Amino acid sequence: MTGAKVATFAPDGGIGASVRRPDGPAKVRGEFTYAGDLTAEGMLVGVTLRSPHPHARIVSIDTTAARAMAGVHAVLTCHDVPGDVHFGLILRDEPVLADGVVRYAGEPVAVVAAVDAATARRAARAVEVTYEALPALTDPQLSLTAASVHPDGNVYRHVSYSCGDPDARGVVTVENTYRIGMQDPAFLAPEAGLARPTPDGGVAIEVATQWLHSDQKQIGWATGLPPEKVHVRLAGVGGAFGGREDVTLQTHACLLALATGRPVKIEYTREESFLAHRQRHPGTIWLRHSADADGRIVSVEGRVLLDGGAYASTSPVVITNTVTLLQGPYRVDNGRFEGWSVRTNNPSCGAMRGFGVPQAAFAHEAQLDALAAALDLDPVEVRLTNALQRGDVATFGQRFDAPTPVREVIEGLRAIPLPSGPAKPPGGVGRAGGAVRRGIGYAVTMKNLAFSEGHVDESTAEVSLLDGHATVHTACAEVGQGFVTVAEQVARTVLGASTVEVVQPDTLVASAGSTSASRQTMASGTAVHRACLAVRDRLLARVARAHGLDAATLTVADGVVCAAGRPLTPVAGAAPGQTFRATEHFQHPATHPLGSSEGGMYVAFGFSAQRAVVDVDVELGLVSVVQVASCQDVGTVVNPTQLLGQIEGGIVQGMGLALMEEVVVADGLITNPDLQDYLIPTIVDAPEVVSTYVTDPVPGMPHGWKGVGEPPLCTAVPVVAAAVRAATGLPLPAVPIKPEHIALGIGAAPTVTWTTPRPADPDRPRGAVVDEEPHDAPGTMAEEGAPPGLHS
Amino acid sequence: MSAVEDPRPEVAGGTDGPDGSVTFGLTVDGTAHQVTARWNESLLTVLRDRLGVRGPKTGCAHGRCGACAVRADLGDGAHVLCACLVPAATAAGGTVETIASIGGPDGELSDVQEAFLAEGAVQCGICTAGFVTAATELLETNPDPTRPEIESALYGNLCRCTGYGRIVAAVETAARARRGATR
Repeated sequence: MTGAKVATFAPDGGIGASVRRPDGPAKVRGEFTYAGDLTAEGMLVGVTLRSPHPHARIVSIDTTAARAMAGVHAVLTCHDVPGDVHFGLILRDEPVLADGVVRYAGEPVAVVAAVDAATARRAARAVEVTYEALPALTDPQLSLTAASVHPDGNVYRHVSYSCGDPDARGVVTVENTYRIGMQDPAFLAPEAGLARPTPDGGVAIEVATQWLHSDQKQIGWATGLPPEKVHVRLAGVGGAFGGREDVTLQTHACLLALATGRPVKIEYTREESFLAHRQRHPGTIWLRHSADADGRIVSVEGRVLLDGGAYASTSPVVITNTVTLLQGPYRVDNGRFEGWSVRTNNPSCGAMRGFGVPQAAFAHEAQLDALAAALDLDPVEVRLTNALQRGDVATFGQRFDAPTPVREVIEGLRAIPLPSGPAKPPGGVGRAGGAVRRGIGYAVTMKNLAFSEGHVDESTAEVSLLDGHATVHTACAEVGQGFVTVAEQVARTVLGASTVEVVQPDTLVASAGSTSASRQTMASGTAVHRACLAVRDRLLARVARAHGLDAATLTVADGVVCAAGRPLTPVAGAAPGQTFRATEHFQHPATHPLGSSEGGMYVAFGFSAQRAVVDVDVELGLVSVVQVASCQDVGTVVNPTQLLGQIEGGIVQGMGLALMEEVVVADGLITNPDLQDYLIPTIVDAPEVVSTYVTDPVPGMPHGWKGVGEPPLCTAVPVVAAAVRAATGLPLPAVPIKPEHIALGIGAAPTVTWTTPRPADPDRPRGAVVDEEPHDAPGTMAEEGAPPGLHS
Repeated sequence: MSAVEDPRPEVAGGTDGPDGSVTFGLTVDGTAHQVTARWNESLLTVLRDRLGVRGPKTGCAHGRCGACAVRADLGDGAHVLCACLVPAATAAGGTVETIASIGGPDGELSDVQEAFLAEGAVQCGICTAGFVTAATELLETNPDPTRPEIESALYGNLCRCTGYGRIVAAVETAARARRGATR
């Protein structure tokens, strides 16, 4: 099942075909309505007043002058929140508007609604806030021992477990400390939404979001309204990548609409967008691998510290991803793993494409290369030697009981020829002379797919069919990834629909969960598939009655109802004027917390192998990525063009983290909250991408499909770093790799220690054993083989 | 907010209003408008908020992302620029063609738009109008661009979804189709 098995074009526009996006024509005409394009009669504009301090006590807030200004309709502080002031995806530790204390620079303190943006901004400036600055906790290393900066404490979650005999040793150990910078989702349409009061005393909001029902719930908490009085409808979304999973302006807009009785629109500036949404967790990871002489991993020990920033968001979940996936796509029988996600007064971090795994992947792949170098082995061979196989047991105790094509993606990658041709001048227009060196790097990763650890992963679809026209309704947020296309393809394939309308998602249908975790084809796609099957069965039962046939002999193919394989009637004319409907639910098998004896933590895994070719000007420190070749485990190819779009887009985002993207935070303040100083890759930076696939269908999923969106990013980060290391000979243990890291040789090399082999104690348990108490505080990790970087 | 109707004749240099605003003529997608705006408003704000022309998008409002790219003649010849960087006053008397000027009058797609769809160059689409605008100008001046020429023409437009591969493919496809049609 290896290699470039791209499905051929399916003529019916169904599964497997490069069907065009149904929203594409409006988008290329510039007519598609994004959240920022929304407008309403009598609309007010909402503006947010934000804290300039990373940590301060609010001594007083005086809104008198702001309220008195002409054109100002409302000025709200936390005292005006009618419901519970606290919200949050998991821990509910964040105030809707600052409640006596601000804990990060940019925290909303007050919101204003006025007749236009200029008036609202003036009014926000007229709100008089007296702050008493407090010491800002900005070093996550100090978080555990520092005074708590929140009543809930400074630790979002501590995770610690071991498996087998962590003290087993081969002939060599390599260890190093790796650092990953803070990446911004940097979706190109800043947050926007339009809220209106409804006649029943409730509120309706159209908003660019990833998770409608999560917004609905959290708006309900703050407004005090029951869910049936909070109506959320998806507005056009200009990218998300995890950054729209948390509530930002949703609650503010609804509170202002309820307070004023008018429609209220909020649209962030780019700077506000950086301040308001969640970034990818920056982190420090110490890893020690021990291996025998042929490169087989004997044991792995790892510790992780992620800076979660001021409020929890998804920090308690992200840390578990990072810690448990430190093993990478390799068999590891013996290990000890520990991690913390901690609170600081830095920007809050949460979901971003990859969700903790790019951090782990950057570290474990650097370690695999270090092992290979120490043992003078080929880096690809070392990965093949250790590749996970179906039936292996993860360090966290879960058996890989679905297709686990790690060897296959590596072999598939090896089959892709290297690029030929001249060097690509580093810096885009730079030199291509004597100081430019080419490097080739490899990386392989494992990404968990769908929600984990007991978080219910489900979706519901309502499907109807009338005269060959299908209507599909889910709450799955289309954020650009192309779910609308997949839903249309399913309806064409299963129902034989000649036209398909995918209704704009809202909360009138049950929750689809978040558009995240590479999960929506698996969850909402499967719900749509089930609903289409149910509708089809109703149609076929009707046709069977009308023709006096046995429904079991009827099928749908290419838009035609067939009896015993022979065309009977077109679907469009099978039951004129009659509508068939079905609502179906899908839920993955339950998952369980780390260490549970009841079952696994994760629904599924995706595997990806990449090779990067880079040209590096070693004097200037500039890098150009010439080519990234990819072979990914995708289950089945649902839509070749959209799949390629996910691969290419993910690779370039990962390349951004590897080489240029970093939210620079100094003393709690973001110093580069704009696209001039926060660099995302341009078309000049983007490499050629060669993409092949392993198609090993996933049991239990329609067509054997699986999520594909995150793995390409997870692999791109380590693979680009590996190629730059190969070009420069430098250890480069931190991303983004900056020009000065290369030009000045910054970054410590792995420590290589030759050891006396010590076989694993056979009496130690194989599965994961969870430790309730920390082994060490993250600031005191010194013990044998101290992780040096964690102290500096 | 809609276009402000002003009975005064078009004055290329603009007319100062009492509140720091200025009234001037601006032709957008073939329609002549009289606009009253504050001097410090951007052309993008005038287009989106005063005239309701929402094809150009607000991505960064500081000239880095290209989502607001329009083809404009502000007295120095028509070329693609970021509408967010142009003060409204300097657009007085100018002519602006947005994404709405690309493609046929009945909604038929241009070859560039068609190629963007066919090649999968559109995901979230917030950058698409800007890319189509820039790519259209490129092919009008250079019907057979090399990859470096495509990169040079489009590096002012950011896309966060596609990784640019499908966008390059779309421009190459449109160029091929156009060359084929003219032979």
